[in-house]
Formats: sequence, structure tokens, C-alpha cells
Amino acid sequence: MNRIDPSTPTARSWRDIPQQIAPQAMSKVGRRRVTYRTVRNIAVVVGVLALAAGGFEIWRTLKNDPQRLVATTASEPLKEITVESNGVLGETWVSDQLALAENVGLMDLDLYSLRTRLTASGQVRAAVLTREFPDTLKVVLDERSPVVRVKARLSGPDVRDFLVARDGTVFSGSGFSTQTLSSLPWLGGIRLVRNRDGFLPLDDLNVVADLLLTARGHAPDLFATWRVISLERMDQDGEIVVQSSVVPKIIFGTREGFFSQIARLDLILAETRSHARAPLKSINLAVGASQVPVALMQPVPNAANSTTPTVRFPFN
Amino acid sequence: MSSSSRFIGAVEIGTSKVSVLIGEIIEGRRVNLIGYGECQSHGVVKGVVTDFKAASDATHSASLAAEQSAGVKIEEVFLAQTGKHLDGFYNQASVSVGAANNMVSQSDIDTVCRLAKAKALPDGRMVVHHIRRPFQLDGKLVGANPEHLNGERLEVGYWTVHGQEPMIANSIHVVRGFNVRVSDLILSSLASGTMLTTLQDRQNGALVIDIGAGTTDYVLYRDGAPYLTGAIPVGGSHLTNDLALGLRVTEGQAEKLKLRHGRGTVVAHDRNDKVWLNGDFAIGDRQFTRNAIETITSARVREVFEVVQKKLGTALNAENCAAGVVLTGGTSKLPGIADTAARVFGIPSHLGEMPPGVDEKLKEPSHATVLGLLHFGSQNRPQVAPRANRGRSILRKLFTVGA
Repeated sequence: MNRIDPSTPTARSWRDIPQQIAPQAMSKVGRRRVTYRTVRNIAVVVGVLALAAGGFEIWRTLKNDPQRLVATTASEPLKEITVESNGVLGETWVSDQLALAENVGLMDLDLYSLRTRLTASGQVRAAVLTREFPDTLKVVLDERSPVVRVKARLSGPDVRDFLVARDGTVFSGSGFSTQTLSSLPWLGGIRLVRNRDGFLPLDDLNVVADLLLTARGHAPDLFATWRVISLERMDQDGEIVVQSSVVPKIIFGTREGFFSQIARLDLILAETRSHARAPLKSINLAVGASQVPVALMQPVPNAANSTTPTVRFPFN
Repeated sequence: MSSSSRFIGAVEIGTSKVSVLIGEIIEGRRVNLIGYGECQSHGVVKGVVTDFKAASDATHSASLAAEQSAGVKIEEVFLAQTGKHLDGFYNQASVSVGAANNMVSQSDIDTVCRLAKAKALPDGRMVVHHIRRPFQLDGKLVGANPEHLNGERLEVGYWTVHGQEPMIANSIHVVRGFNVRVSDLILSSLASGTMLTTLQDRQNGALVIDIGAGTTDYVLYRDGAPYLTGAIPVGGSHLTNDLALGLRVTEGQAEKLKLRHGRGTVVAHDRNDKVWLNGDFAIGDRQFTRNAIETITSARVREVFEVVQKKLGTALNAENCAAGVVLTGGTSKLPGIADTAARVFGIPSHLGEMPPGVDEKLKEPSHATVLGLLHFGSQNRPQVAPRANRGRSILRKLFTVGA
């Protein structure tokens, strides 16, 4: 094995030259660079120290008095609740629903749970609660509008009236005038399914809402005679059966626009009013645009065999 | 800009100009040239700093220009070294292969290398480079790594380049004044040679001569490695000086004549073939025979080559320099200079050409050194810092003041 004699001479390398240089020996540019780097390093050190001090302070507070970190400054007690709504609900209803304790602090309010209380009724689609300092809670409500009424038993033996919105939500309904409520037809031919606090939303109510909206908008007199809207044949035949005070059974199809069906119905009713020999029993508008089967209550004397004459529409 | 990239500067403090090139080293290997700065040199005579402040100002101006063109700050510098103070010697050592089965071990290699490098230098002298020549095993060349080869005697030689400590320190401190650390010193001739010769050229043998303004650096390659290096304190400025003395004109006028009419060989033999000094026919404008100008410049060029030849001695011959003489540096732009070199050395000569891919603006022969420095910088850096030191180096980078 070869061994190197420790006395072997070693030459000095250029790397032995110290690279430190006095700032005086530097050019202006060099000095500026040194200053920049020094300032940067100081800034980094100060930043790190500040972070460390902040971290230490938080740690110390958490250890000794954690309440200081979570406790907010004492807020003013709630004095006023202002309500903005696109429906009928007002401050009284909101106050009843929220059931806030007296002199509760504005900052003590749990806005999320309060919002849940408001939306639990079903009548409120969305609620936005905002603290307005120093002492006001602002509530903005987006309400559901009822389309039809329905009778159901929720808890106890009594049958109560409920309202149904376009999206199928079934709710008790507060603040609506009697006139408004009485103008709504009843809903039949459905099965209400209970959930924890009420009923599950119903299907196909948007179609019913379209029909009612069209009728209310274009034939309000006609609409006023409608008593019950039945969805019994909706699933199977796609038909909505309306029971009115004039005609016991009006069948609307969902495959055709409601406007044209209502127009035909209006025409048929006008025609039969002037020429009818017997009251109408049923009008089936779901068959199509070209013909509408109409049934009368009693057989017409001298008529051949049929009790269901067909009204033909050469125009359409 | 990748997070694994570094920005290195190649700095050449020459007699006539200071050049700074900034390269982005990506993933420890690939180099992108991203900035260049150049400035007229001051305070440098024959490659040696004689006026610290003037040299610093010029170097820092060039560095600043390069940083501005690159849009980044230089992190470390590879600095070119030249000048008359540089000298070299060859030292060889041999060891008997230690293992019983005569297989060369790493320990044998380390020992012979240390022995070959172990030579004391006179006071005030410092090693700039230890350039290793190929290993020999039982008298036969075995290339770069003889480990696990079988033989009895392992030999290696080093060409050691050394220089005067104050002069080396001065050039380092000029760069340090810009607040950038010098990572490595590289001989100008080695930097140019790396750029202008291929591996094959170096294997076949090549002589690279870099004729600058104040110095002429040369490197002779043999068997794929630098065999000899040297620098002589004669360059393009001497041609200018000769013209000024010979034609009795100012240095500025002589420089102009050299650039416009100077040649490495005499081709104008007609005494009536004259050129104007300024060409503006103003008072003081004079005529000189083209022959006179060419005679003066070619004589000095020939003399430079003869000095180089004398320095190389028997190391240079046509057999071991098959790739010929490669000329570079600002003075190599003199027409006919390759013919003179071929005549003096007796081997084919040509002007160095940059490898493909180099930007057109940097293809001038005077940029060979800085490009070579960057090449060295990309080749000689460790690719990835050792894991244990990585965190420490980040902290060091953050907190080092004046690094």
C-alpha cells in the first residue's frame, strides 16, 4: 500500500486568498449591492423575529388566558330587527320564529342557527341575516308563493290546510289574507309523504303552477270557477284534471301548451252557454287541438246514440 | 426561470476591454446565455491590474450592464486569468500498484495524484491550475481512470500553472468589489481552447493561440488533455505601438491603420500602393505605403508566433498536433495571420470557429474566452448540493452579508 509522506510539500492555491474585501475598496456599485443585501437581510431577520414574537404571544395567551382569543369585545344588546321580504312575512313573524332572549348581545347571535329557524317553516326559501352595528339585526327574506291549497293531517287528529309552492314545498302559510287563500284551488290526487318536520316536496307542481298562472293571467273569470286540481292522472297519462263550478271535469294535457287549451276551453264554454241543451259534464282538452270530446249531463232528446258530441275546430 | 437554476458570470478583465457574460445554468448542466456587458478596460496593463480603482470601475460597469441586459443578479463569477506572471511546470510521480493482484485501486490513484501535485512553489507564488495529463500504467497511456486495471507501476503528471499572489489577488478583489464571490479562476487560453476545439481535436493534438491586446495565451492539447499552457506579454497593442513608432503617427492613428490595413502577411509589394491616414484630405492627412504597414504588422505577428514556438520547444511537432493551430482573440482578425502561423509552426493553421448554437453577436473571436468560462462554469459545478448541506446553504444565502 502506498502511503504519502506527511512532509510532502503542498503548494498554496489561489483559493487560499481571502475573498473578504473592505467596503472602502469597493466601487460605488459594489457598496450599493452590499447595502441592499444588508438591508434585505435585516428585513428578513426583523420579519422572522416579528413572526416568532407573534407566535410566542399567541402561544402564551392560549396557555394562560385562552378566553382572550375567543372573547370578543362586549357588544350592544339587540334592539331592533328589520325585515325586508318579497312576500307577506313581517317583523312579528320573524320575531316569533327567532324567539330571541331579551337583551341578547348582537355579537352573541348565532346567525346560522337563526337562519335555520327561519327556513324551517318552508315559507321562507332563503334568509340573509346581517348584523348592523351597533344594535340591529337585519333580515332579508325570500319567500315562496303558494300555488294551491291542500288538506292534510300533520300531527294530531285534526285536518289542517297547507299551502303548496311551485317547487312542491308544502308549508303552513302565515300572513296570507283570507281572500288570497280562498282564491287558491285545492290540490287532489296526490300522496303526501311525511318527513321529520313536515312533508316531502311534491313532484310536478311546476306544471300545475304553469297551468294556473296561464289561466289566472288570460282567463281570470274562468280561473275563479276552478275548485280542485287533481294530479291523479298525471303520472300515468300526463293529464291534469280540473274540477270547476261550471264543469265537473276539465282534462288538460301536459304535452301541449296550456294557453291554447285554455283558449279552446273558453270557446267551448262560450258555445255551450249559448247553445247547450244540457249542462256540461266533462271537457277533454288533452286529446289534441283538432277535436275536443265534450260530455253533457243528460241525453239530448232526438239525438241518435251519442251523449258525447265532439266539437271540431276547423280553425286552429 | 426555474428554481433549480443559477446565474453565473464569466468575467474577462482584458487589456483593451472587460467582457462579462451571464449564463443561466439549468439543472446543473444546460447553459442559457442571458446577458452580456462590455466596457473599455482601464487600469490593466498586459493582463495585469495596475490601477485597482480604474480596473474596478470598468469591471463593475461591464458587470452592471450584463446584469441589466439579463435582468438578474450574478451569483458567482468564473474569472479569466492571464498575464506574464503566470508560469507553468511539469511534475510527474509514479507509485507501485499496492494490491497483490496488481489491480489499481482508488487509493493508488489518489496517492500518485497527490505526489504529482506536491511540489513547493517559491514564496509569493500560488497555484492557479493543476492540469492532469493522462495516466500511464507500465508506461502505456490508460486515459482518465485507471481504476481496476492491472499493472505494476502507475504514473501521472501534472502541468501546474502558478502565478504571483498579489496579481491574482488583485483581479479577485476587483470582482469582489462588486460583491460577488469568485468561484473559480480559469486560464484564458484554457477557456478559449475549450470553446474552439472539439474532443477529437484535443485527442489528435491542437495548439490554441489567443492573441489579445496585451497578452498572447496559448494552450497545447495532446491526448485529449491540456499538455502545456503559457502566456506572453505581447499582443495586438504591440502591433499598434510598432506602427506608431515606425510610421511616426499617434497611437490612435496607428490603431486605425492597423485595423484598416494591417495584415499578418505581406501581399502588397508595390511601393506606389499607398493608403491615406485619415482619408479626409484635411491638414495633417498623410499617405503611407501599404507595404510598410503590412511589413510592420506581419513582422510583429511572426515574432509573436516565434516566441510561442520557442516556449513550446519540442513539445510541438506536426505529428502530435494533427488538428493544427487554432487562432483566436481580437488580433486574430488580422487578414493573413493564419498563413503566418502555418509558416512559422509548419503545421496547418486556421481561425477558430465557435460551435453551432452560439448567438451571432458572440461569434467574434474576442468572445471565445468568456464563452469558454461559462462552459467551464457549467461543466465544473456540482449538479446538486449534498442533502445535508442544502438547508444550511439556503440559510447561508439568506444571511451572508457581502457574499
